[in-house]
Amino acid sequence: MLSIKNLHASVFDTPILNGIDLQVNAGEVHAIMGPNGSGKSTLANVIAGRPGYEITAGSVEYLGQDIAGLEADERACEGIFLAFQYPVEIPGVSNMAMLKAAINSIRKYRGEAEITAADFLKLIRNKAELVEMKQEFLKRSVNEGFSGGEKKRNEILQMAMLEPKLALLDETDSGLDIDALKIVAQGVNALRGEDRAIVLVTHYQRLLDYIVPDFVHVLSAGKIVKSGDKSLALKLEQEGYSWIEDELQQAS
Amino acid sequence: MNIAADQNQSWLEQHTHAPVVGQELEWLKNLRAEALAQFKQSGLPGIRDEQWRHTNLRALKSNLYAHSHGSSTKVSATPNSTTRLVFVNGHFAPEQSSLHESDGITVTDLEQGCRDQSLHLQDHFSSTLPTQQHGFTTLNTAYCHGGYVIYLRSGTQAASVLEMLFINTAQDDDSLTNISHTRNLVVAEANTRCRIIERHQGEDGSVYLHNTITEIIAGENAHIDHYKIQQDSSEAFHIGGVFIEQAANAHVKSHNISLGGLLTRNDICCNLNGEGGHIEMNGLVFGKGRQHVDNHTQVNHLVPHCSSDEHYKCILDDHSRSVFRGRIVVAEDAQLTSADQQNNNLLLSANSEADSKPQLEIYADDVKCSHGATVGQLDPKSLFYLQSRGIDQQSASELLTFAFANQVIDRLEAECVREDLTKLIGGALLHELEDLL
Ligand SMILES: Nc1ncnc2c1ncn2[C@@H]1O[C@H](COP(=O)(O)OP(=O)(O)O)[C@@H](O)[C@H]1O
Ligand SMILES: [Mg+2]
Repeated sequence: MLSIKNLHASVFDTPILNGIDLQVNAGEVHAIMGPNGSGKSTLANVIAGRPGYEITAGSVEYLGQDIAGLEADERACEGIFLAFQYPVEIPGVSNMAMLKAAINSIRKYRGEAEITAADFLKLIRNKAELVEMKQEFLKRSVNEGFSGGEKKRNEILQMAMLEPKLALLDETDSGLDIDALKIVAQGVNALRGEDRAIVLVTHYQRLLDYIVPDFVHVLSAGKIVKSGDKSLALKLEQEGYSWIEDELQQAS
Repeated sequence: MNIAADQNQSWLEQHTHAPVVGQELEWLKNLRAEALAQFKQSGLPGIRDEQWRHTNLRALKSNLYAHSHGSSTKVSATPNSTTRLVFVNGHFAPEQSSLHESDGITVTDLEQGCRDQSLHLQDHFSSTLPTQQHGFTTLNTAYCHGGYVIYLRSGTQAASVLEMLFINTAQDDDSLTNISHTRNLVVAEANTRCRIIERHQGEDGSVYLHNTITEIIAGENAHIDHYKIQQDSSEAFHIGGVFIEQAANAHVKSHNISLGGLLTRNDICCNLNGEGGHIEMNGLVFGKGRQHVDNHTQVNHLVPHCSSDEHYKCILDDHSRSVFRGRIVVAEDAQLTSADQQNNNLLLSANSEADSKPQLEIYADDVKCSHGATVGQLDPKSLFYLQSRGIDQQSASELLTFAFANQVIDRLEAECVREDLTKLIGGALLHELEDLL
């Protein structure tokens, strides 16, 4: 589904990613871990098509197509979703309005008819229930005055509404208490399926108790320095990242 | 003779055939003569006048003006039960107007109003104007030939919205530019209530100058909502003034929406003369092309215990430009004043420009005054956030622009105006989302 080869990328002309190779197949869940500043958010944003995040070498293929030339909204319409590490507050635009505009925009892109008002309301009620979000939040301006945890849950609500093929979750678990964490995991697990893939950026192994990954990768200084299965996450939790650095030094 | 005097003379010559009304009324004749004398002294304002430094009048002054004596322009029929007066090129068009007279309320045109001795307009006409008047104001007094008069007797409430439609057209002879001067008077005695919607329109592309002044005299505990929705031709010149006098506990809302016009200048001034008065001033500008919109507001807190609340937002696209000058004066005696003023400007293009000049002059010591002014662009983070949800850039920009405007639109109580503005500013996408915003 996602095939990243030798990816080099700059953020506003500062090189951040230094040759990333990553293969994500449909049906898989990948976790990306690594110290602060190692480039995890940069990777997620490059895939999502954030302006200013530029591919300087290598390639990102999604469903067999090089996506470098696609705008962020086109990527979203193709089925890529980014749950932001820092969700943005948009005063004056309600959650409902944004989601309806998003759904209709995606439908238009796919040549489908607009969603009816009744279907939209039914859908959003269902999904809000899934992430245990109160109806009143739907009418409020996007993320405005939401607590940290509410913002993260709102990201999951949006993901559930848009049903992406490739979901990138950037530290959606950070700052959540255990109940909120379970709700997030519930939302993500509901999305899992044979034709979908999920990439989780996280610092903590605890999310991976609820969303079990098929692969775990460690990012350091803009490169994937180690890949493994779930046990790698456990080892990182217990021992930190320094042993990987040591290993790398010995190897060179 | 110097150039300025020359120009003033030429302006007066262009008014020799002005269709003034009420010439038989001595008091009005005197007022007009006085105003004319003042105009001869001052002439039109220019770049050297501090208040007009940012208002380029060159294009306005380069035209040769003539009055139009009415026109056959037709407007669409009014919805039933609405009181509507129509003015074409400043002239009252009775055949297109619908009046619903009721006890205690007189709604009529300027000429009739001045003649109606029971209204005593001589006590009110020009009474709200500042002592220092610019040339457009004195010209207006000297030559006004149409406008509306609303008189509310003590304790009355207007049952429906009072709609005032001003339509201006181009001259048939395109070497001449149409000019009209209108004067409107709203006199509300104690314990009255009404909502007035002034609409200013003209066929797009037509060139004309409309010089219009509205005087509002709000008696004790009068509640007046005044909307000015300016959608003039994008080639038109609009010079406007709204002058408000408020007695104790009067609540006035002035909503000033500028969407059209090549050059728009509004002076909106309010004197709070009685305790417990409240003035709300809302403004929304959406400039495109080469439009220039200049809004000058002034609130004078003259007595204790009054409040003023002002929100002006400007959205500027293409090469458009706006100037906002908001002056708040709190007199020495005006203790316990509460005054807030906000001016936010959104630049949609690199070539647009916004100037914001808040001016607070506070002479009392026990007051609560705040103000804020911002100039910015659409937030790239918000744009990316919306785009990452599948919304294309154009729609995302429209959504964010509307959200900005909506902070003022939300403050308007007239639902028909909110709906109109949502359509006009939001475009198709927003229309579809309207009930969800
Ligand atoms: N907008 C930016 N401009 C310049 N440098 C940036 C920007 N955003 C992130 N960086 C830098 O890129 C590096 C990687 O950041 P990031 O991808 O956010 O790391 P992580 O998500 O792994 O903590 C950091 O050194 C950070 O300072
Ligand atoms: Mg990060």
